[in-house]
Amino acid sequence: MADGFIIAASATLMVPIITLVLGLIIGYLAQRSGFCSIGGMRDLMMFKHTRLFFGYLTLIGGALIGYTIFWLIIPSAFPNFYWAGTQGFTAIPGAPSGLMVGSYIILAVIGGFGMGLIGVLLGGCPLRQIVMSSEGGRNSLFFVIGLIFGAIVFHAFTMGLVQAIMP
Amino acid sequence: MKENIVEIVNKGKLGFSKGIKIPAVVGLSIGFLAAFVQALIISAGGPEAYGFCVACHTRDFTNAIVNAFTGQSLGIAPVAGTAISLTFIGVILGGYLSAKKYKEFKVKKGKPLMYIIYLIGGIAVMNFSLLLGACPYRAALRFAYGDMIALIGIVSIAGGVAVGVVLLKYYMNKGGI
Repeated sequence: MADGFIIAASATLMVPIITLVLGLIIGYLAQRSGFCSIGGMRDLMMFKHTRLFFGYLTLIGGALIGYTIFWLIIPSAFPNFYWAGTQGFTAIPGAPSGLMVGSYIILAVIGGFGMGLIGVLLGGCPLRQIVMSSEGGRNSLFFVIGLIFGAIVFHAFTMGLVQAIMP
Repeated sequence: MKENIVEIVNKGKLGFSKGIKIPAVVGLSIGFLAAFVQALIISAGGPEAYGFCVACHTRDFTNAIVNAFTGQSLGIAPVAGTAISLTFIGVILGGYLSAKKYKEFKVKKGKPLMYIIYLIGGIAVMNFSLLLGACPYRAALRFAYGDMIALIGIVSIAGGVAVGVVLLKYYMNKGGI
């Protein structure tokens, strides 16, 4: 059982507070900097601009530094760190569950490609779209409403389909 | 822009308000914060590398509300089983507060056709990201955590972007958009 700084019994109260504060900080920072992962890749490929792309690279670096530091402080909160070392070539759980490794690779290719293509055509990754909607962009607001409906569609329909056809 | 950053740093003028305008600084902060959040809330049920995700946390938020009102049992991550995840609300509020503070809030209306396109785009992007099990940000977190399938996801996102860029350039040359 994984144990973090906050015990499971107080999670009902603490998880909403922590995620709200995290969201506030990230929303604020992302609004100031125009942070966008897909936008970074687009600027790099289209104009050779590296500004936003460096943001995505440092996010990976920051996470690696953070995981290492907190893993040293409280190893029980990171039971399978470093994942490839303890679990090999598998996917960290997320929806859908219970598939073979090959299926996760196929899903990663389909999911990533679709996200990248639509994201670049509509002008931003999901985070950027949420931030743009909070800046007053009506197009992005409809994108965010789409995200909400998409979550329901995925669990009501897509996930069942995937689990039925993928080994 | 690179030279500007170097100049600012050399002159000792890299204050907070300038620092947070640099995506590299923001990226580093988000990654570190997401790792810290995992250290805080992993006991609530995980999964791992789940500190921050635009798609998954929004899914947890939406489905928890839908489940509460309709009695359905749409899937949510274990961490959100007993506690609602408010990242989505936080990002909207954070962006709004910042935009208001710096007077960058401006309603930009679009055309009804664009609203429909963006709505469908949102539904599609959410489905694609949940297939991968990550938005681009959780993909980065998963990769940093050691998940090599997330790396395949990131490369695939870059592939999608590359095709999109080719399409954009094509339409730009034709004088469209």
